[in-house]
Amino acid sequence: MRITVDTEACTGHALCLANAPDVFVLDDLGYNVTPAGEVAPELEEQARRGALSCPEMAITIEE
Amino acid sequence: MTPVDGSPARDRSPVVEFDVYQHDSMAGSNAAWAAVREECPVMWSPRNGGHWTIAGYEDVAAVFRDWETFSSERTDPERSSVSIGAANIPLLIPEEIDPPRWKPLRRILAELLSPNAVERLRPRVEHWVTHTIDQFIERGEAELAHDLSVPVPSLVTMEWLGWPAEEAAGAASVFHDMAKFQHGTPEYAAGAARFQWLMEQVSKELVARRESPRDDALTAIALYEVDGEQLPQEVAEAIVFMTIGGGVDTTTALTSAALVHLGTHPEDRQRLIDDPSLIDSATEEFLRFYPPARTHARTVTTDVEFAGCPMHAGDRVLVSEISANRDESAFPDPDTFDIDRFPNRHISFGVGIHRCPGSHLARLEFKTSIREVLRRLPDFVLDQDAVVEYPNWSVIGGWGSIPVTFTPGPRS
Repeated sequence: MRITVDTEACTGHALCLANAPDVFVLDDLGYNVTPAGEVAPELEEQARRGALSCPEMAITIEE
Repeated sequence: MTPVDGSPARDRSPVVEFDVYQHDSMAGSNAAWAAVREECPVMWSPRNGGHWTIAGYEDVAAVFRDWETFSSERTDPERSSVSIGAANIPLLIPEEIDPPRWKPLRRILAELLSPNAVERLRPRVEHWVTHTIDQFIERGEAELAHDLSVPVPSLVTMEWLGWPAEEAAGAASVFHDMAKFQHGTPEYAAGAARFQWLMEQVSKELVARRESPRDDALTAIALYEVDGEQLPQEVAEAIVFMTIGGGVDTTTALTSAALVHLGTHPEDRQRLIDDPSLIDSATEEFLRFYPPARTHARTVTTDVEFAGCPMHAGDRVLVSEISANRDESAFPDPDTFDIDRFPNRHISFGVGIHRCPGSHLARLEFKTSIREVLRRLPDFVLDQDAVVEYPNWSVIGGWGSIPVTFTPGPRS
């Protein structure tokens, strides 16, 4: 699984972090700054929930 | 979206006589919006100065995100640009400012209310929730709007700003008092007078912070610099007003909604008592089902066709969060309250650049309040016949009175 964050679309709701604390990294203002990359198999479910929770649909998952 | 070239007459259509200010109860408002979604989710209404009405989830989100076409900038000094109607309220900053001026002004609140900053406030939120419940827990009866959902956000917000503690609860409750009473009543007039007093106090406190800085949000705003210069006094005042007006009675309304819901849905209450970890998904569902901000407004900046409708520069647009949140194309079984609902991408904090910057603090205040109510007065009985809603549900919803009885408990 690979995740990509559209940092232009992120407006800092921070729900990705609430749902996937081990996957996403936010800056000090609460905006998603997670670099694009592969997700460890044990974190895939978290990553899916984090992406689905984003009100801006800013997180893309490629399975 | 396609620009409309050389469009002839102002052929706005479809036209529906829709008056959002007739929404005088939650049920009435919900039913009216359901009819709009069913019959005509994008339409022109000649009422309230004339405006487009946007009711579907995708369209509401699209309007909120496209700030260049659907601007929040104040166009009339006397009237808010972000709500429909004649509300004569001070300029909201940063809500009524678009980029490029928006960015440094938004950053102040983004810093002061970031997830990490709010986490540092957690002990104070817990303190004020405990303190507030302590005031009535021995009585066995309470009016939970007045005794809990009004004071908690007021006390937390005003302490965070750095307000004198003895005035905190009374100062911020002015917004609740104005929402609770009809325009034209003596109670509303009294609230409006206190509002003027509050604004004068904000001005004085900001001046005082420039002279003697403290460790509080008023100081941070008073001393904040954009391009090497402190904010003009009126801009600093507007930002403080935004935090009180935007952050206090909205959180109050959400807490009140949950208390009324839990008082009328024992199965949901029992689930939250049995498994407090459900509060996270329940909070998003309370937000979706009972959005405190029911509608917002925008102004069209350029002639465009949106959802097949010809919109013209200067047209006003009414955007409905409550309608988006009940759109069945976005939420299966939307009129069912589902504690476990996921995903739940409701619009209650807005989306796009102007989304609510206080959402992290609002969630913390709300979750703490509900958790402690269910821990300390889990058997509360709501006097349903005596519950009082706000008189108007066009822009903000909420409750004026939530009387309950319960088994008395000890102070903490």
